[in-house]
Amino acid sequence: MARVELKNLRKEWLGATAAVAGVDLAIEDGAFVAVLGPSGCGKTTTLMMLAGIYQPTSGEITFDGARVNDVEARGRNVGIVFQSYALYPNMSVLDNVMFPLRFKTIERTEAERRAREIAALVRVDGLLDRRPSQLSGGQQQRVALARALVKRPHLLLLDEPLSNLDAGLRLTMRTEIRRIQRELGVTTILVTHDQIEATTMADRVVVMNGGRVEQEGAADDLYERPDTLFVASFIGSPPINLFEGQADAGVAKFHEATITLSEPVRGPVVLGIRPESLQAAERGTPARVTAAEPMGREVLYTADSAFGVIRFLEAGAEPRHREGDNVHLDFSPASALLFDKASGRRMDARIAV
Amino acid sequence: MAAVDSIAGGAVEARADWQALARRAWRTRFTGQSALLAFLVVVSVPILLPYFWMVVIAFTARTGGVASDVLWTACAVIVPAVLIYSVVHMSVGSRRLRLAIGITLVAIAGTLLLALVGGKLHLDNFRFLTRANFVEELRTKATSGRQFPSVWTAFSNSLALALSQTVIILTVASLAGYYISRFAFRGRNVFLQGLLVLHAFPAMTLIIPIFLMLYWIGLLDTIIGVMLVLAAIELPFYVFVMKGFFDGVPWDIEMSAMTDGATRRQAFRLVVLPQVRVGLIAVAVFAFIRAWEEYIFVRTFLIENTNWVMSLYLFWVADDVMGVDYGIVAAVAVFYVLPSLLLYVFCQKYLTQMTIGGIKG
Repeated sequence: MARVELKNLRKEWLGATAAVAGVDLAIEDGAFVAVLGPSGCGKTTTLMMLAGIYQPTSGEITFDGARVNDVEARGRNVGIVFQSYALYPNMSVLDNVMFPLRFKTIERTEAERRAREIAALVRVDGLLDRRPSQLSGGQQQRVALARALVKRPHLLLLDEPLSNLDAGLRLTMRTEIRRIQRELGVTTILVTHDQIEATTMADRVVVMNGGRVEQEGAADDLYERPDTLFVASFIGSPPINLFEGQADAGVAKFHEATITLSEPVRGPVVLGIRPESLQAAERGTPARVTAAEPMGREVLYTADSAFGVIRFLEAGAEPRHREGDNVHLDFSPASALLFDKASGRRMDARIAV
Repeated sequence: MAAVDSIAGGAVEARADWQALARRAWRTRFTGQSALLAFLVVVSVPILLPYFWMVVIAFTARTGGVASDVLWTACAVIVPAVLIYSVVHMSVGSRRLRLAIGITLVAIAGTLLLALVGGKLHLDNFRFLTRANFVEELRTKATSGRQFPSVWTAFSNSLALALSQTVIILTVASLAGYYISRFAFRGRNVFLQGLLVLHAFPAMTLIIPIFLMLYWIGLLDTIIGVMLVLAAIELPFYVFVMKGFFDGVPWDIEMSAMTDGATRRQAFRLVVLPQVRVGLIAVAVFAFIRAWEEYIFVRTFLIENTNWVMSLYLFWVADDVMGVDYGIVAAVAVFYVLPSLLLYVFCQKYLTQMTIGGIKG
């Protein structure tokens, strides 16, 4: 188990823009961190550099304060679970799990005992004689996890480990991986593009975009106080409502709506309101419902308002408004977010009460 | 009531329609399959007949003449049996019944063959296996011209050539294929194109320069010389084939092995190589057979009769101004074809994979 630190880490491919453009990150010993971002944001490249498969162009990786940039993959004692699981098809499950111990000075009987122990922990102890091709996706996933953990790694890397599983299994594996991580206390980095995966499994979430870290923090922090427009729009489902407008001396105009701000802001701004902070009320912005989509426990409405097209959520399985209904939408000023359009950063200014 | 009737009537009509459609579909499929089968039978006749001739002649011909009557009698028994079985195979659904009919047909054909031509079978033509100078018994010493080597000399020469060919090609093609598949290096594309061009290049045009080179090096009239030339000419193709197989092995597995603590070489040996096993077998079989059947280069570069390989042996058996003893030629041919035939039979499931040039995930 180790404390992992990345200092201004960069990776540039020949003739291409930087895949990872200066990442700074510190991960405490035993922490579970999720790296979240859209495809191509550099999260897998970062992971590969941590594993020692890619060489960073510049910057530094340290494990417990010691620089490991020049340590080969096999010397880093890192366990990795690939999206494809990457089990060795020519070996039985037991041989797969024991494979990492072949390269250590461990006696075969001891290696087998450890492999069986870890297999029991991830609950594949009944499958040890099978071949990977005879296992289901979830079982392959568990075997891959066992193989990554058997050498007692300093660091466990999970590269989109759940994206090849069906919905039900994903839910189980989410809790399973969390349980195993807690039990072993291994420092873990999970790379994913699924925000639910990230927020449910990890203690801390790092949002990446364009090879940079946009924001890092606890899940609710990212949700309630996104630093940037990107984080605001990437986190939350259904996505946040964003309205572009123009502010002048503390008064902002959006489409046909006018709002007074708490500070004398000037220039183009973006207003963000989460669908769940809006509710139909007696007073508020008039809107006309154009679609109602029941989603099980709640209904997602789309409506035309003075701000433009707006979406809002209401609890309850049955739609209370129909297409064509006129409603008033109210929201608490504190829940609305204001961003500077040019820089994409959140502003301190709020909507004046 | 009326509405219900019309709906029911409509349903019946629709059902009648479906039956007609099903019949038509069945008829189309049947005619299609029959036409295909007939076509395949017709085109396979000229391919199979020479082999059939070879086997029959090898076991029946007496010195001096060719007994084609045996050939036609055998055909008259086997062809109807094959035709009957193909009709049975098409029309009988049950596997066990098909097997039973098949066995019965084989038994009937076997008995008929034994009764009609059984007495004419003999192994005289295979005396070349034990007698070194049998050619001189056939012809006079003057026409045969030289001492004929034992067939086992030629056989072991062929075996040495084919086996060394297999080892060289297997080693070089797997290492080179892996490297080209996995590493980016300057000129990789040019190299790949070069491999294809080399494969397309007719090697025959090089035969005189190669002859001269071998002469200067001192490898003319040696098995090693032929071995090197053949390997050099064949390698580009096999390197390309092996690259295809390695391309089919996912990167993840190798990366995984390396994070698990393996060196690149260990990852290659323990994880990657087992996954291209099919490709290795296919390449080995093709390389072996290609060397086993080689004629032009051995004919050009091998002169002494102690260096003869099987194809040269067959050529010299068949080569005579006074007329050919077809029985012995056919017997030598049967002996010559046997190893490659056995290899094909046992490895065919691997060979079919090579044309795809990859492995299943």
